[in-house]
Amino acid sequence: MTDVAKVAALQATGISVRYGGNVAVDGVDVTVPAGGMIGMVGANGAGKSTLINALAGWSRGPATVRGKVRLGGRSMDWLSPHRRARRGLVLVPEGKGIFADLTVSENLALIRPPRNPRGRHPFSMDEIFELFPRLADRRTHKGGMLSGGERQMVAVSRALRAAPSVLLLDEPSAGLAPRLVYELLATMRRLVDRGLSVFLVEQNVRATLELVDELYLLERGKLVARGPAATMKDDPRILEAYLGTLKT
Amino acid sequence: MNLAQQIINGLVLGSGYALIAIGWTVLLGAARLVNFAHGQLYMLAAFLAWAAMQQFGVDYYVAVPIAVLALGLLGVVLQGVMLPLVMKQNLTSLMIVTLGFGYVFQGGAARVFGGDPQRLISPLQAESIRYGDIWFTLQDVVTLAGTLLLFGFLWLVMNRTRLGALVRSVAEDPKLAQLFGINAARVYIGVFVFECAAVALGAGLVAPRSPILTSMGFDEVILTFVVVVLGGIGSVGGSLLAGFGLGMFTALFGALVSPAYTTAAAFLLLLIVLVTRPGGLAARR
Amino acid sequence: MTRLATPLALLLAALAYFVPAAAGGTPVVYAACTTIAILAVMAYGADLILSYLGEVSLGHTIFWAAGGYAAAMLSVGPGWNGWMTAGASVAIALVLACVLGWVTLRTREFVFSLVTYAAAVVAMEVAFNWSFLGGSDGIVGVPPLQLTVLGRGITGSTNAELWPVAWGLLMLTLLFIQRFRQSRLGTSALMVQMNPDLAQALGVDARSVRFLVFVASAPISALAGWLYAYQRAYVGPDMFESYFLVLMLTAIVIVGRRLLLGPLIGTALIIVQQTFFSIGGDGDKIVLGAVLAVILLLWPKGLIGLWELMRVRRAS
Repeated sequence: MTDVAKVAALQATGISVRYGGNVAVDGVDVTVPAGGMIGMVGANGAGKSTLINALAGWSRGPATVRGKVRLGGRSMDWLSPHRRARRGLVLVPEGKGIFADLTVSENLALIRPPRNPRGRHPFSMDEIFELFPRLADRRTHKGGMLSGGERQMVAVSRALRAAPSVLLLDEPSAGLAPRLVYELLATMRRLVDRGLSVFLVEQNVRATLELVDELYLLERGKLVARGPAATMKDDPRILEAYLGTLKT
Repeated sequence: MNLAQQIINGLVLGSGYALIAIGWTVLLGAARLVNFAHGQLYMLAAFLAWAAMQQFGVDYYVAVPIAVLALGLLGVVLQGVMLPLVMKQNLTSLMIVTLGFGYVFQGGAARVFGGDPQRLISPLQAESIRYGDIWFTLQDVVTLAGTLLLFGFLWLVMNRTRLGALVRSVAEDPKLAQLFGINAARVYIGVFVFECAAVALGAGLVAPRSPILTSMGFDEVILTFVVVVLGGIGSVGGSLLAGFGLGMFTALFGALVSPAYTTAAAFLLLLIVLVTRPGGLAARR
Repeated sequence: MTRLATPLALLLAALAYFVPAAAGGTPVVYAACTTIAILAVMAYGADLILSYLGEVSLGHTIFWAAGGYAAAMLSVGPGWNGWMTAGASVAIALVLACVLGWVTLRTREFVFSLVTYAAAVVAMEVAFNWSFLGGSDGIVGVPPLQLTVLGRGITGSTNAELWPVAWGLLMLTLLFIQRFRQSRLGTSALMVQMNPDLAQALGVDARSVRFLVFVASAPISALAGWLYAYQRAYVGPDMFESYFLVLMLTAIVIVGRRLLLGPLIGTALIIVQQTFFSIGGDGDKIVLGAVLAVILLLWPKGLIGLWELMRVRRAS
């Protein structure tokens, strides 16, 4: 029993990603404990998105990925992105996360909740609308007509419909008003407290530090620091690079 | 000139254009794939139905479904081998590949079915209906009704079902669809099978109007080209409208101006539209 | 290496001249070699678009036919000599290319291909129906080619006599393509195709580049059509047939895009098969279409891609 509990929800080792001759991510390990929330911060171009996409086996460009990804102890390495999504390794990508030509309902209905969830929790439509009441009124609106915040809510909702074992979130706050950012991330935290495992990539260091259990710092494709959020808050590199500049 | 008769002719021609174009429209919309073998697929379906009737003595009503089924299977094979290129969206290479396939079909059909013109005989073609000055056959009625039914059905599937949403999502962004747990490859195969089956149905209904030749290929369906682009890439409703519009145009142009230049005139129309509106008439942007 | 490149190219060009003689010098060999040279030049016109703009032009049969019709009509009617008909071919091709280039200026990808194809269909229908162009019968009885080169008169009534002209045209085309590859226009075209954002950042106007390359490509195919009219002594709407279109594209992709000698080698392979190893007209169609499809499906970069693959395998 204790052994099972110790198995990390997601364990990635030695992830390296190359684009042609360029190394974008170089030998990074990531562990997401079950029911935990891990955050990753880093400058623009540090390779955060490349890394989180590699975990999902997904890429818009011709990327070559090395390393191992295990979801609940099962290898994901040879699975195509849509298979990983169905097994519960669900990515909400940066930027465009929903279909603009489809309505909110259609976007959500694309997801087939797993027939055999095995401990994963597929969110029902009612639960989704309870979580994001605003979406209930937008059901028949096309994705392209929504505001940035609403789009992000739909993107997260469709991920929840898929009953994620681990939810991979790539900069959900990009382009949102500060109040919305906090609201969205706080909602994510509530879900984690209810048992969801989340790996979050963010630009917004302040908000991330307040919510996650553990923080990773990525620089030029390499992991340069990791630790509990409480200690990382005082890490000079974090202070200097991100929080310091925000001090007024 | 008998205007009422020309309008009937326009409707009949237009329903044929729309029916032959529909598979291509869906394919272009969902997979952004231009299938230059479309005309040869039409030819192949017509000859398969003909061969089934001649060689095996089956009924027209059985021969057409056989052709539809056979072309559907061919679609699985074709899209199967093209899949790596489709997934990479290597559209330039794909266009040329389909051109090559068309050439193979044409050469292969000439070897198997011979070079002589043949007739796909439909019993409905002999049943003519007369109302005063105007005249049409039962085949025309069935084609028109079949076209409207198929379009209505397709519209419902595309806009009111999860399957339709699936196709539209892959059309918009196949990469994003993967993250939704959608197997884009299967959607592509399904869409290609639909195109092949739909063009076979079109051949079954339209080919009895005139003699069929293994070399007819693209010339026979060249006007569906106009329908696909004029209707707006991938727009089901637009294709139906463009099909009937083009049918009317060719019927009236042929009767009033010159039958020899009808195709050229239709293409000139297309060129003008494309210069002014590169996305086709139904383009939103 | 680079110092040797020019003399080596000249040597190869000179050797190429003696290929038909070395291969036996029979009329069949001369016919095949002349045809290869002509069709390769035709393919180089489309090659400029496919390799350097990355678009599929299905309208180059228009320029090919325009060159043929110009040569046939002007030598049969007013009895112009070869230089004058060649000049007229180029001029007509340029005018047509300007019109078509302007029409397609805003189109990309499959819309570009569809429109160029549509234009070819319109052109064929016009050629087929307009009695001025000979209608469906075409124009028969094109007299032998008459050219004066360096004070010497050339009459091309047989393939052996036409071969020096075909060879010369091919060499000029190769020279032009080579120059184009190194020119500003050529490099801009590649940049527009490979990295449009960078091209824009560097101030390259993609539209004018596309237009200029399109217009530059037309006279090449037209001059091939010009010589083809003299070789066959006849032109007709069959110059629009998809055979020429498929041949152009196959010749370009068979060896690999963006290779100077690619289309020439490709054309040679196809014509040698069809002349010496033919399995009947329909069989040859199957071969040509299948080669085109299979090459692109297995090695989208062409045979050169296969070669690279094998080299990588051997190295590892």
